[in-house]
Amino acid sequence: MAGAGGGGCPAGGGDFQWCFSQVKGAIDEDVAEADIISTVEFNYSGDLLATGDKGGRVVIFQREQESKSRPHSRGEYNVYSTFQSHEPEFDYLKSLEIEEKINKIRWLPQQNAAHFLLSTNDDLRINLWHLEITDRSFNIVDIKPANMEELTEVITAAGFHPHQCNVFVYSSSKGTIRLCDMRSSALCDRHSKFFEEPEDPSSRSFFSEIISSISDVNFSHSGRYMMTRDYLSVKVWDLNMENRPVETYQVHEYLRSKLCSLYENDCIFDKFECCWNGSDSAIMTGSYNNFFRMFDRNTRRDITLEASRENSKPRAVLKPRKVCTGGKRKKDEISVDSLDFNKKILHTAWHPVENVIAVAATNNLYIFQDKIN
Amino acid sequence: MEVQKEAQRIMTLSVWKMYHSRMQRGGLRLHRSLQLSLVMRSARELYLSAKVEAHEPEMPLPTGRSPDPRLHPPREPEAAAQAAPPDGEPPSPEPMDTQETPRAEETPSRCSPRPAKAGRKRRSSSLSDSGDTGLVPSKKARLEEEEAKETPSEVPDRLQPPPAQAEGAFPNLARVLQRRFSGLLNCNPAAPPTAPPACEAKPACRPADNMLNVLVRAVVAF
Repeated sequence: MAGAGGGGCPAGGGDFQWCFSQVKGAIDEDVAEADIISTVEFNYSGDLLATGDKGGRVVIFQREQESKSRPHSRGEYNVYSTFQSHEPEFDYLKSLEIEEKINKIRWLPQQNAAHFLLSTNDDLRINLWHLEITDRSFNIVDIKPANMEELTEVITAAGFHPHQCNVFVYSSSKGTIRLCDMRSSALCDRHSKFFEEPEDPSSRSFFSEIISSISDVNFSHSGRYMMTRDYLSVKVWDLNMENRPVETYQVHEYLRSKLCSLYENDCIFDKFECCWNGSDSAIMTGSYNNFFRMFDRNTRRDITLEASRENSKPRAVLKPRKVCTGGKRKKDEISVDSLDFNKKILHTAWHPVENVIAVAATNNLYIFQDKIN
Repeated sequence: MEVQKEAQRIMTLSVWKMYHSRMQRGGLRLHRSLQLSLVMRSARELYLSAKVEAHEPEMPLPTGRSPDPRLHPPREPEAAAQAAPPDGEPPSPEPMDTQETPRAEETPSRCSPRPAKAGRKRRSSSLSDSGDTGLVPSKKARLEEEEAKETPSEVPDRLQPPPAQAEGAFPNLARVLQRRFSGLLNCNPAAPPTAPPACEAKPACRPADNMLNVLVRAVVAF
């Protein structure tokens, strides 16, 4: 698929291929829950790559510079630092355990005065923190009803606009997105824009509400679009059009007829993330069986790739994968019933400039790059 | 009829999941509880509408909670009808008789594709290459011991009464589940039906089984 990147890659036109670069993590079949990667993020230059896991540990990788003594290590990511970021805490008053899982990592821009960050671990509130003031924050969104029995939705994700520091969005479990302007009022309980696509009544099922819940929302680098991920699809929204997305990409539509089983085994609650490439011409998201999908917004072509140890030879080209959705299964296709729902790719990251991607598969981190690199 | 059975099965499964979610580390999750309740409501609405179409006669409903649901014959259609609030109104936490088979207990555990069956503790591995093992930090002992008992096969352990929580999204549901489920589901049901084949990683939906052996009172907190 074509993906315009920086650094000498051809912009548009002609396919390039993704190659295996590196894999980090143990090969054990039995995976300790603490080692499951829960977030992946490149920094603004792409020279640093951070992962967080369920055990509260953060590992930071740094890209090696070109070296004559190690010619093949150019562009490789090696461990730069690792530390225990969070430990489990116990709130004795409420008899609640606060888990140490790293939900999100966000790198700070190095050279500006952006001193604020959003925290949205709470289902019902969004707080705004000044990085130099740690004992209090601004509560800017609060959707907790007076009577909890009237609760109908929770906040699922949020993010700042990349250029307008007063604008942020948050998504809900009902599949809606609200864009808020912090200049309008201290408590942003009235949105500036409300994005929602009408439900297709023909596809209604027991699980319609669950699969419409948005698991991730991301602004494009340009700031003109935003992308949302629900259970079966990725949608691109134009910030100037609230009544429907401008683009919808089906990630694994073949699962729609399997929602009952996916509810039984809890997979229907999986929260997939999505990401943009540096030029906003392509988007990527994960699926099951360690598959991940890329969609080219210009050519409307898509590709399914797999993160697996079997395809882990250095610079091995990844072969596109295909799921057989009915009829006769062709060679190299995999049937829906053969998919491994234990192997899910929830977290992916795309280098901000180059065609280098990091894909978290349970406790392993795979790094792929395009063949030209 | 099939639609009715499937709706009933999903309702029961949802109640089980809601109960089981209290056992997990961190207790009830608001988002998950909300999603489960939405599925329960959808299933209940479909069940009731299917029932109306079947023209089954309505029977008088119980006014209060029965002391022991095992003593009562299956009455889930009537109780479901009583518990169904009009659309848009907040649901009332009334008890609802629901039939359930022990398969619903075993099924989620068997279907659960949890990759971390060996436990939560981290192994000595790290994301680094072999040359970087010196940078791996040491980890303190965990606070809880219960994780060691939380394996999918140990169903009775997981049905122990959860620790009392001062507050939660559905406090009434929590209290009633704590009283009812711990007593009922620990008992041995008479002649449980044959356990279904494992559905792990098999996305095909199974046909609904007969649900006659174990009566579970479920509180629907909406």
